[in-house]
Amino acid sequence: MSTKQSTYRHVVDSFKTALGLGESTLETSLAERVVFYVALGLTLLITLFPFYYMALASLLPESSLYSLPPTLIPQDLTLEHYRTVFGPETFPFLTYFKNSFVIATTTAGASVLVATFGAYSFARLDYRGRGVISRGVLMVYMFSGILLVVPMFQVIVWLGFVDSLASLFVTYLVQTLPVSLYMLGNYFRSIPEEIEEAAIMDGYSRLEVIFKITLPLSAPAIVAVFFFTFMIAWNEYLFASIFLQSQSVFTLPIGIEALSSSFRQVWGQIMAASLLTSVPLIVMFTYLEKFMVEGLTFGAVEG
Amino acid sequence: MVSLTRSGDRTIEEKEALLGYALIAPALVLIAAVILYPVLYNVYLSFTVVPLRPDEAPQWIGLEHYYNLFGSSAFWSALRTTIVFTFFSTTLATLGGLGTALLFNRSFRGRRYIRGMVLLPYVAPLISVAFVWRFMLDPLYGIFPYLGSDVLGLYAGSIDILSNGDTAIWSVILIDAWRYFPFAFLMLIARVQAIPGDMYEAAKIDGASKLAQFKDITLPELKYILATVFLLRWIWNFNKFADIWLLTRRVETLPIYAYQVAFANYQHGQAAAISMVLFLALIVFVLAYVAWALDW
Repeated sequence: MSTKQSTYRHVVDSFKTALGLGESTLETSLAERVVFYVALGLTLLITLFPFYYMALASLLPESSLYSLPPTLIPQDLTLEHYRTVFGPETFPFLTYFKNSFVIATTTAGASVLVATFGAYSFARLDYRGRGVISRGVLMVYMFSGILLVVPMFQVIVWLGFVDSLASLFVTYLVQTLPVSLYMLGNYFRSIPEEIEEAAIMDGYSRLEVIFKITLPLSAPAIVAVFFFTFMIAWNEYLFASIFLQSQSVFTLPIGIEALSSSFRQVWGQIMAASLLTSVPLIVMFTYLEKFMVEGLTFGAVEG
Repeated sequence: MVSLTRSGDRTIEEKEALLGYALIAPALVLIAAVILYPVLYNVYLSFTVVPLRPDEAPQWIGLEHYYNLFGSSAFWSALRTTIVFTFFSTTLATLGGLGTALLFNRSFRGRRYIRGMVLLPYVAPLISVAFVWRFMLDPLYGIFPYLGSDVLGLYAGSIDILSNGDTAIWSVILIDAWRYFPFAFLMLIARVQAIPGDMYEAAKIDGASKLAQFKDITLPELKYILATVFLLRWIWNFNKFADIWLLTRRVETLPIYAYQVAFANYQHGQAAAISMVLFLALIVFVLAYVAWALDW
């Protein structure tokens, strides 16, 4: 009963928040409002300026990119850097993009698949050792990449996966599992148990309940977890920098880093590539935002 | 899991338990093989010299790597850098997140969209963020060196902020705080909004100032979530590698030290020992912190 009430209040609160009705502003003085808008403006400036500058630099011609004072409001813009990035001459951006996309999609897909069933097991099925196992999985999250990198390198060499995307698939899949298990488990617990019990009364088996009731109800959360694991794989640098050696298998972080260590000044192209690298994550974020702010512990992804 | 053909005789509870084990098994096998095994193998490697050729077996040398480590000034300096970096970046990110959460605790036009924008530094890919900061701090054409030295005259323009040992660490701390304050904001905003408004009303009637309200209502209500955010960020920043490495090679924290020893000097055994010390130092900190935060 009490959980129902708190869910209800949570829903009401989140609607209020969404509609901006959380706190009343009726009693604020003019001075307070000025201070507020100045503070808000500063926060936005600090947060967004680097992104503005990234977009700007990717569009500026070389002449204004490398001159002082730095350009803040552009006179003329050019798509030249984007043309170079997509062209094959300087660096194979499209190959990196494709590699990153393939590795992020496959790991996220596999991680969600394995974690969905595991999380259901944690959330709904009763067996000895469940508490210990589920807490143990969370503890695994404490092991950092740097602790794993030396032994994993040995394992990858032993498996013969060096310089192939398979090395990253194995590593990312397992490293995203604890987060996926945790987030999905929390979501499954938020589905009222009565729905599943009613279905079992109607003669559904447990597996039928999972496939016909729980999974369809959880589709939005499963998509969200997919996106989250995609983002982790898309960002990963440490393991990729060690396991990958040839350009044809580079992912975006490694490829862009390699471009930056060339001797010529290529800031325009780096900024264009950086912006293009951000696009998939920002698109996913527009979907994820509601999960992140609703406090479903979706935000607590290592970073 | 015995033969499933007899499952007809089992009770519902037994079947549920079997299904429970079956569904979690793939995840457990993968975690055991690709996380637990490597962690234990790392413990073993830290007591050995790892040969360059993968077909030769590691050679047992006991605690030698640890003795070398504790006797080397590079290790102690890396430990100090790690603590300075972690402490300041964690504190700044937490305070920044708290400030932003308090700022957003009221209604205003466009609140939803602006909240989304504030989360951008945390959501954007690390590689993009690292490179735009490198460009903005570029000693020749970067906008910040231009503002700092040419316009404001704060320092001599020839200094490369990210390659100078003194300035690099503070730049990295500030950039890290910039990237992760949205995480603290995200964790705090829900709790800030959950503080009942009548508590402030009552305080106002009693004549409490804004500052007193913050100290006596907001902070006590938020202390556990603040402690949690601080702890999570501390753990992640303590282990931070790529964020620092992509910005500068002049800030040598323990993870970076381990990486270089392993993959620039090819001393895998020594690097395994460094990451073990890193891990143990973190565990000691977490235990001490939890003990302190619980009877806070």
